[in-house]
Amino acid sequence: MKIQNQDFIIPEMTPELKRGPKWLQDKRTASKKSYNNTPIPRRGLHLWRYTDPTKFVVDKAQVTDAVFRDNFDEVIKSELALFKDGHSSAFVLDKAGRDIAFHINDKLTADGIIISKLSDAVESHFDIVNKHLYAQVNSNTGKFEAMNSALWNDGIFIYIPDGKSVEKPIHLLRESGLDNSAQFPRLLVVVGKNSEVTIIDEYSGGSEKQSDNMSLTNSAVEIFGDVDSRTRYISLQRNGEGAKVYLSHRAKAEQNASVLTVPLAFGAAVSKQNFGVTLNGTGADSKMYGLLFGGGRQHYDNHTLHHHIAGKTTSDINFKVVLKDKANSAYTGLIKIENEAKTCEAYQENRNLLLTKGCKVETIPELEILNEDVICSHGATIGPIDPEMIFFLKCRGINKTEATRMIVSGFVEATLKQVPADLKEKISEFVTKRLENI
Amino acid sequence: MSESLNKQNQELSKLNEDYESKYGFHDPVDYFHKGTKGINHEVVEMISKMKKEPKWMAEIRHEALEVFYKKEMPKWGNAEILKEIDFDDIYYFMKPIEAKKDDWDDVPEYIKKTFDKLGIPEAEKKFLGGVSAQYESEVVYHSMQKDLEKKGIIFLDMDSALREYPEIVREHFGTVIPSTDNKFAALNTAVWSGGSFIYVPKGIDVGIPLQAYFRINAENMGQFERTLIVADEGARLHYIEGCTAPVYSTNSLHTAVVELKALDDAYIRYTTIQNWSRNIYNLVTKRASAYKNSTIEWVDGNLGSRLTMKYPCVQLLGEGAKGEMLSVAFAGIDQHQDAGAKMIHAAPNTSSRITSKSISKDNGRATYRGMVKIHKNATGAKASVECDALLIGENARSDTYPTMEIDNEQVRVEHEARVSKVAEEQLFYLTSRGLTEDEARLLIVNGFMEPFTKALPLEYAVELNRLIELEMEGSIG
Repeated sequence: MKIQNQDFIIPEMTPELKRGPKWLQDKRTASKKSYNNTPIPRRGLHLWRYTDPTKFVVDKAQVTDAVFRDNFDEVIKSELALFKDGHSSAFVLDKAGRDIAFHINDKLTADGIIISKLSDAVESHFDIVNKHLYAQVNSNTGKFEAMNSALWNDGIFIYIPDGKSVEKPIHLLRESGLDNSAQFPRLLVVVGKNSEVTIIDEYSGGSEKQSDNMSLTNSAVEIFGDVDSRTRYISLQRNGEGAKVYLSHRAKAEQNASVLTVPLAFGAAVSKQNFGVTLNGTGADSKMYGLLFGGGRQHYDNHTLHHHIAGKTTSDINFKVVLKDKANSAYTGLIKIENEAKTCEAYQENRNLLLTKGCKVETIPELEILNEDVICSHGATIGPIDPEMIFFLKCRGINKTEATRMIVSGFVEATLKQVPADLKEKISEFVTKRLENI
Repeated sequence: MSESLNKQNQELSKLNEDYESKYGFHDPVDYFHKGTKGINHEVVEMISKMKKEPKWMAEIRHEALEVFYKKEMPKWGNAEILKEIDFDDIYYFMKPIEAKKDDWDDVPEYIKKTFDKLGIPEAEKKFLGGVSAQYESEVVYHSMQKDLEKKGIIFLDMDSALREYPEIVREHFGTVIPSTDNKFAALNTAVWSGGSFIYVPKGIDVGIPLQAYFRINAENMGQFERTLIVADEGARLHYIEGCTAPVYSTNSLHTAVVELKALDDAYIRYTTIQNWSRNIYNLVTKRASAYKNSTIEWVDGNLGSRLTMKYPCVQLLGEGAKGEMLSVAFAGIDQHQDAGAKMIHAAPNTSSRITSKSISKDNGRATYRGMVKIHKNATGAKASVECDALLIGENARSDTYPTMEIDNEQVRVEHEARVSKVAEEQLFYLTSRGLTEDEARLLIVNGFMEPFTKALPLEYAVELNRLIELEMEGSIG
């Protein structure tokens, strides 16, 4: 499949458009129309200034048999072993957004917690799905969101009934195919009143090096946190270094609900991700702790949004970027406080650490405040490791490589504190590995 | 304390009953060349002929007009208000009947009255250097103290400068802001009239601030002044301008282009306080080129106008160059102040600092929109941006859009922004000491503006404080 054709339209005959009941087919068709009628975003447009939108266009939006990486079977084995050892309460294996397998702890099923294929839930939990699916990420969100809305083959549905708490994280492994593949995974999470859940959403696989046939992953995530709920969502993007990744995430927090979002990114050649939380009920709280570490020629473009619709809501973002080689990162973050949302607090911080010559950073932390009763601040810094810090450590007999590793570990610590210990260890390993040969 | 404040307030209200009566006057107009509305090559030709300009300038104007036709309107900022501008409904040039005067006594009575209201002669008395007041499109009055001339400093209106020093003008005109830069810069280049020209020779320190006062009088009159300031190696100068326009019902356009050039080791500070009436579209392009070890400082106050879109820029082109921006914006009822700064680091060890303060009141909207760009070769660059916004009234709006593009890893870039209302604790503290809530709020707002007012010459600081007080009156419902 060639990914160069800019004039691509989704053809009438695409089988995905016929998946699901009539109402879903109608929505898919409407999304298809919207995709076909929406021009490719202009580079001058705010959110597309730093990333070429044609990267996310495909000319045959279908994949019949994705080929996965060589060691994929071993990965599955070890992840399953971890599940069986009780590290996670569920392990879901999503192959290219179409072949999804579930391993769920019996206790969850007994509690009435649903983790299933989205295509099944469309029938079995019609009311919930009909109410929430497409409510936050749909064809109005953008051209590529319309693409996912039309073309998702199958997705994952997670429903936590009122008053239930899931102790161990739910682990989703979303594997992309190698070269020439295109996948459109989708996730819908509905967390009931006073319920609690942690989800680790891991993206892996995809093309391993850059070529004309790089894999494309276009994912959509919708999360609904009902009154008093506590949702932790960790997005871990560690795709192959030739993958193209587009992710659109939206979460909505009702009264006194709290949402923690941890976007982590280490993989992919081009990665454009959009994380947004809407604070929809009084007292809702959102925290985001992002971290990305780019090397080689990786290109990252992240956008975060905190939208305060209700009063007495609070939000806090801490987004950290570490770059080496010729990697580059663009970060744009918007805090929007509506006129009706009185007595809000919102903070935003973006720190960028540049380890070697040749890397490039853009940062645009934005504020749109439409009423006076707020406390709001944001800050951004960009710079290399302070040579004095290295000097200090060297004086104490630590060599430069080790000193750099220590300083970077300290830099990323605030983010890693937010993730479960198992995952933290895994990420520390990545970070250490990336710091070799500096 | 409260009493003295009260007394001060009363005096102030006498001084500044409201904008309408202080600045809203307009003289009966009998224009020599009112021309026709709208813009085309004929109008451009007419302007150029009337000014008896050299041919190369006429060519620049015509080329710029073509650029103006081709360029699209900006789609950002406040596209809705921009859409209101009808380029065909604006006079692009007019000239008061009287010729330019060199002595205050020769200036016609009605123009004097206008300037009296603006306080120009007082400023003159205070030996504030040359006065160059722009009344409509041409400078009618322009005095320069003898000692400035002796030092070889050229301080003229732009039209005279073009006549008397065409080589210097030609060498620098449009080199910092080409007409292709944006639609409004192109428009200005095509129809510019008036503005200041300053040249300070090598190693000369002007010593006293040079100032010009602009105002727009006729309805639907575009004001397209063009300012060019060149500080030769090691020269130092401080230029101040203020802008006021009377109140009219239909809208006027103000589109200026200001180019500054600081050669090696030079220093330029450019201070503006913009107090246009609430129907002016203020769309200004200001940019400075800073060469080796030179310093550019923009001090920029935006109080008036309906929509201001203004982002003074410093291109740091030589090693060790410094750029500084200190700005304050006050957005009252129906106003949108979309202002900011751009710092382009294109040489090693350059440094820049942006300090932006904004106040949004009632349904006013203040936007900070800025850019810090560090190019690959700018090793050792340092940049810091600080934005503070104060919100007064529940419908006030504040936006912050800072952009930072960094292409070199050996740099230090920092950005910070804060948005809040006047803190309850501060109000409580002051009211518990006997101040009324109004007084307390004014005191807090003045404190908020302090870093800016401190950078102004005394009489400007006083005027700014008065204007703020005027704006703040009755801020509690």
